[in-house]
Amino acid sequence: MALRLQKELANFMRDPIPGMSLDHNSVEGNINVWVINVAGASNTLYEGETFKLQFKFPQRYPFDSPSVMFIGNKIPEHPHIYSNGHICLSILTDEWSPALSVQSVCLSIVSMLSSCRTKARPSDDERYVLTCRDPSDPKKTKWFFHDDDV
Amino acid sequence: MNEQTTQEFDFKDEMIDEKITAQQEAIENEIAREQKLISDLIKLDSLLDEYSLEDTIYRSKIIELSANFSLVRKTRGDGNCFFRAFGFRYFEAIMGKPDEVKRLKDLANKICTDLNQLGYNSFTVDDFKDVFVEELERLADKSDVKLLEEIFNNPGSSDYIVVFLRLIVSAYLQKNADFFLAFIETYQSMKEFCSHEVEPMYKESDHIHIIALTNALNVSVGIIYLDRTDQTEATPHNFPEDSNPNIFILYRPGHYDIIYKN
Repeated sequence: MALRLQKELANFMRDPIPGMSLDHNSVEGNINVWVINVAGASNTLYEGETFKLQFKFPQRYPFDSPSVMFIGNKIPEHPHIYSNGHICLSILTDEWSPALSVQSVCLSIVSMLSSCRTKARPSDDERYVLTCRDPSDPKKTKWFFHDDDV
Repeated sequence: MNEQTTQEFDFKDEMIDEKITAQQEAIENEIAREQKLISDLIKLDSLLDEYSLEDTIYRSKIIELSANFSLVRKTRGDGNCFFRAFGFRYFEAIMGKPDEVKRLKDLANKICTDLNQLGYNSFTVDDFKDVFVEELERLADKSDVKLLEEIFNNPGSSDYIVVFLRLIVSAYLQKNADFFLAFIETYQSMKEFCSHEVEPMYKESDHIHIIALTNALNVSVGIIYLDRTDQTEATPHNFPEDSNPNIFILYRPGHYDIIYKN
């Protein structure tokens, strides 16, 4: 796993996704947790806002998916992002493939934010935040997906 | 790509779920301790020990099979068994044959190009392909069963090979989606099918995976179906149908092992 993560790290720095930058302090000493600074893209509802996205890599990465969530005080207000930072995105669980990468996950999240038309929390936000199995690990949740155009 | 969700559980369910997860993990660890990814060669008739004396259907089929097949390698039941069994047996069939190794290597490179065209990240795909090719090339000039066993029992290399075989299937199915779409009723697109049923590790394989893999690699495989149906003999099924394979896989409901013809 370490080798793959090092490659991903090098790749992420060489070919950064617009609006995303790695918090270098986060990977120093422990490459298994990354924090990525996310700047809301211009001409989107999140223009001018900044967020922190955390990746935790399990031991069996890339065979198992990383655990990905927003952390800190500012969580994007979005119909698929819970106020505790958990993100409802199928490639993070059901549709994870070892051929995906940090970059593919980041691109999905950017596109999820950019395509948002109305800021809102998921309709079950309050209940989910109270009852989710592990606030620090969205992968412990059993997610039920349904297609949505948001 | 973007979805919304509803959570349907209360605290009580959660506790039960957690117990189930813990139990599943315990079972997985137990399996990992007891069953190597690919076992040593064992005699086919030792499979008789797995069935009680009253289980005449399985027992008589195994005895019948032993007229033509004598050895078996068991694979770990982790959902990857078809891919691992096929990978091991295929590498075994071509090791020491530089021409065939080269053919597979060229094919692997071509499949990477296909995957890139399908929008796959080249650096992750190449990572799996590189391990696949490196391990294959270690066997190009010599028939070394010990080394082969080592490669397939080391999760580091073995799982990378499994992932690449899964990607080969995914690329083939997506490229030939028009033909195969008719077989995947519950999914709306081939991409969606591959994301759920082909690429994730530990997902079990079905006919469609076997057809795609044998077609993509132009390799013939015989699957011997050993089940509780009434026929007296285990049913062989060749992929492609009119071929004459020398690679055989033993299928028992839910699981694939390697079987060797005399």
